[in-house]
Amino acid sequence: MQLKTPKSTLVQKLKRFLFMDLVKGMGLTLKYNVGALTDKDSVAGKGIYTEQYPKVRPDVAPRFHGAPRLNMDPETHDTLCIACNLCAIACPEDCIDVIPMDVEIIVAGKPRRKKVLDEFIFDTSRCMFCALCQEACPTSCLELTQDFELATYSRAGFVWNREMLEQGRETVKYTS
Amino acid sequence: MFWGKLIDRGAMLLFGPINVLNDLLLKAFSAETINYFVWPLIQIGLVVTLVAGWVAYATYLERKISAFMQARLGPMRVGPWGLLQPIADGIKLLAKEDFIPDKADRWIFFFAPYIAVASAFIVFSVIPFGPDWAVIADVNIGLLLVLAVSSVGVLALILAGWSSNSKYALLGGLRSSAQMVSYEVSMGLSLIGALMFARTLSLSGMVYAQGSDSIWYIVYQPAGFLIFLISGIAENNRAPFDLPEAESELVAGFHTEYSGMRWSLFFMAEYAAMVVVAAVATTVYLGGWYFPFVDRLEQSGNHNLYVSVSLLVFLIKASVLLYIYFWLRWTLPRFRYDQLMDIGWKWLIPSALINIVLTAIGVFLIQALNGWRGLQTIEALGQGLNLTAYGKIIMIVIGLISVFITGGLLSRINWRSRDFNLKTQRRNIRLVNVAKGKPAVEAVQQ
Repeated sequence: MQLKTPKSTLVQKLKRFLFMDLVKGMGLTLKYNVGALTDKDSVAGKGIYTEQYPKVRPDVAPRFHGAPRLNMDPETHDTLCIACNLCAIACPEDCIDVIPMDVEIIVAGKPRRKKVLDEFIFDTSRCMFCALCQEACPTSCLELTQDFELATYSRAGFVWNREMLEQGRETVKYTS
Repeated sequence: MFWGKLIDRGAMLLFGPINVLNDLLLKAFSAETINYFVWPLIQIGLVVTLVAGWVAYATYLERKISAFMQARLGPMRVGPWGLLQPIADGIKLLAKEDFIPDKADRWIFFFAPYIAVASAFIVFSVIPFGPDWAVIADVNIGLLLVLAVSSVGVLALILAGWSSNSKYALLGGLRSSAQMVSYEVSMGLSLIGALMFARTLSLSGMVYAQGSDSIWYIVYQPAGFLIFLISGIAENNRAPFDLPEAESELVAGFHTEYSGMRWSLFFMAEYAAMVVVAAVATTVYLGGWYFPFVDRLEQSGNHNLYVSVSLLVFLIKASVLLYIYFWLRWTLPRFRYDQLMDIGWKWLIPSALINIVLTAIGVFLIQALNGWRGLQTIEALGQGLNLTAYGKIIMIVIGLISVFITGGLLSRINWRSRDFNLKTQRRNIRLVNVAKGKPAVEAVQQ
């Protein structure tokens, strides 16, 4: 029992003889090559489809949660954190440590003790960026920002202290 | 006139030092020592350096062009437009560990990359990059030397595959040997058509022949050029014929076990061999360094400028062929192994033979027609076959027709030669009269 293949027409035969498929394929690659070369905007224009990451930073979604930050009062530059420990309680991964300290203050002529923030430890290696801490914060001090470059050279680098949380971590910003 | 003076002044500035150097050398050595020893050494040094740079930047261009063809940008981070990428790669490869497998044949493993590089670089000694001082050695069997030496490169692949003591490397080596057997023949045969016009094996002589006939042999020999290019690509193990290093099947083929500098020598050899094939194809079919109107510079007395412009012409022509290499690689998928053998044995070798026969008939026809009823076809036979306008037209027509004759004849011969159906075959085998439910072999009675 032979399987019958349909007979090719003269046009098909001629196309095959003149390597039209090869010509077509090479035309396609040439088109892309010329398109990439004549791309006016050398960075991800219409000829280039890839995102030039360190040069051009992607726009993340508005709901994106990234690196944590402790916000400060814009006028006094004091921390907004009242060391209430609500974020640490809310955290399902247990990655926040709020270390308070007591200070003596005078209120209405009488000495009083007040709990203020001493150190804030945030372990980004365990964080799953659920932002429940951000929800729990009564003073909107703790916030998960849009910054996504969290990689470090060591495990210890993932643990952020108060200074890093307030100032932000230094990363190299490429411009070219 | 102003421009002429400017060119003269520029040429003086550019090439003055050469004459000064020659005078200096004449004080220390005799004229023969300088001509046959010192200048060739300088030429060799220059060619090796330039070709190594060319090879390094061919890798850069390959990455760039492949990126453009895939709508990417390619290397961009090292230097402006990633131009320093080859240097960074070289430093990285030099710093890497040079690993030799435990059970490998150490000496052969050690020497194989050097054979590959040497065989690729020796060929550059006979390639005419330009007239006069731009060619190291004008050997009168240049083309034979190219074919003989460049095929030694395959030996290095076989040795590397064998000595690695790895199944992938061994398979890669075996494939490259089979590939060499099927492509070396058609590569050699395809050049014979062009030799009939050039009447010399010297590569410089072939360029002079094309110059004096003022035509490129690709016009006379389109079939020969195509066969040479295809078998050249297969000879270099480039995609779509990169079976010895087919990464999807054989990991990395023959250089699976190589690392560091030794691996990069193989890489360099591959690109240098590519440049060699492009250079030979340029010399034989695209007129080499010959370009119309460039020799006016020679007539106006700017000898060194003429040589440099010719050199540039040669490099541009060869670079166009290299672009075709890249272009084909990033367009076509890899051939299956049997398809590769099929192209080699059923198409390229017969078509090369047919091309020889048809070209010989054409040359014979031209000679027979010469002087017949006052139709002059041959102008001179001094440097190659110099044809008149009539002769050229006849030869071009014969060349074009021969492409179609070859294609038609071979497609007639090879018609349905691959058109077997494995499924049908299996069914036929199964349908051999065996009664249902009865085993084909009787069980042995106990």
